[in-house]
Amino acid sequence: MTFLLRALILGLTLLFFTFFYLYINEDKYYPGADFQTSDMPKFELYDLYSEKVINQDNLDGTFLINVWASWCITCRVEHGFLVNLSNQNIPIIGLNYKDEKENAIEWIERFGDPYKFIIHDLKGELALDLGVTGAPETFLVSNGTLIAHYRGEVNDMIWKDVFMPIIKKEGLFKND
Amino acid sequence: MIKFFFFITIFFSNNILSEPLYKLDSVDDEKRFYALIKEIKCPKCTSGSIASSNAPISEDIKLKIIELIKEGKSNEEIKIFLSERFGSDVLYNPGLNKNTYFLWFSPILFLIVLLLGFFLRKKA
Repeated sequence: MTFLLRALILGLTLLFFTFFYLYINEDKYYPGADFQTSDMPKFELYDLYSEKVINQDNLDGTFLINVWASWCITCRVEHGFLVNLSNQNIPIIGLNYKDEKENAIEWIERFGDPYKFIIHDLKGELALDLGVTGAPETFLVSNGTLIAHYRGEVNDMIWKDVFMPIIKKEGLFKND
Repeated sequence: MIKFFFFITIFFSNNILSEPLYKLDSVDDEKRFYALIKEIKCPKCTSGSIASSNAPISEDIKLKIIELIKEGKSNEEIKIFLSERFGSDVLYNPGLNKNTYFLWFSPILFLIVLLLGFFLRKKA
């Protein structure tokens, strides 16, 4: 009985150490990544450039939603990578988050426009429904379902480690 | 003259001019709101409830909660609404489900193991 107990205590300790060791060394672990799927929420917001109303029906197929703002410094860091992605024919839809129209347009003119179109979300309504906590954040959407969500800057490494596996698994962006 | 100053002081005091930051329909709703925001973690903070946080997202969530309360949603429904969007870690009180069994029951397990060890040890 004592032997069993000793084995149990030793075993539990070892289990714990193994668990933490594996947890720390897991390469794929990114705290900003979330792969819970959910439906694209309903919304009705204006286009950044015009008075055109955009709602959930204007979005179809597979695309990225990038949440950005002109006041967001990390967005500027991220921007070059997004321009690269759009040059590789990956459709990106911008969600301008809590930003003044003029500032946003000026920002796009200065740094380039990787977006198919930009939704102007002044109050952060759609962003709240999407579960956005700040900018930048990026979603992967396929046929009305959010399949990946990354909180933070998307760069080469994040794209390879977080987005590519799920894109390959689901077989997205094939016909581009 | 003293009366005059008294009225001036009262009339221009902050308390008279103040109004509640978050407007709700009834005192009960207000109590519910202030209790609820202490149970929800600010998703932008390392650890802190939205009640203690000034982050823009916490402010948005608070306003959303008010909207939901006015729509007549229960606390449970509001918590589900938020955890669907911001993940289950926005709730300070983790629910009992298959992901949290270890969290809830491991202390009891450890206690049993330790007690067994204590009572079954060989007395020298």
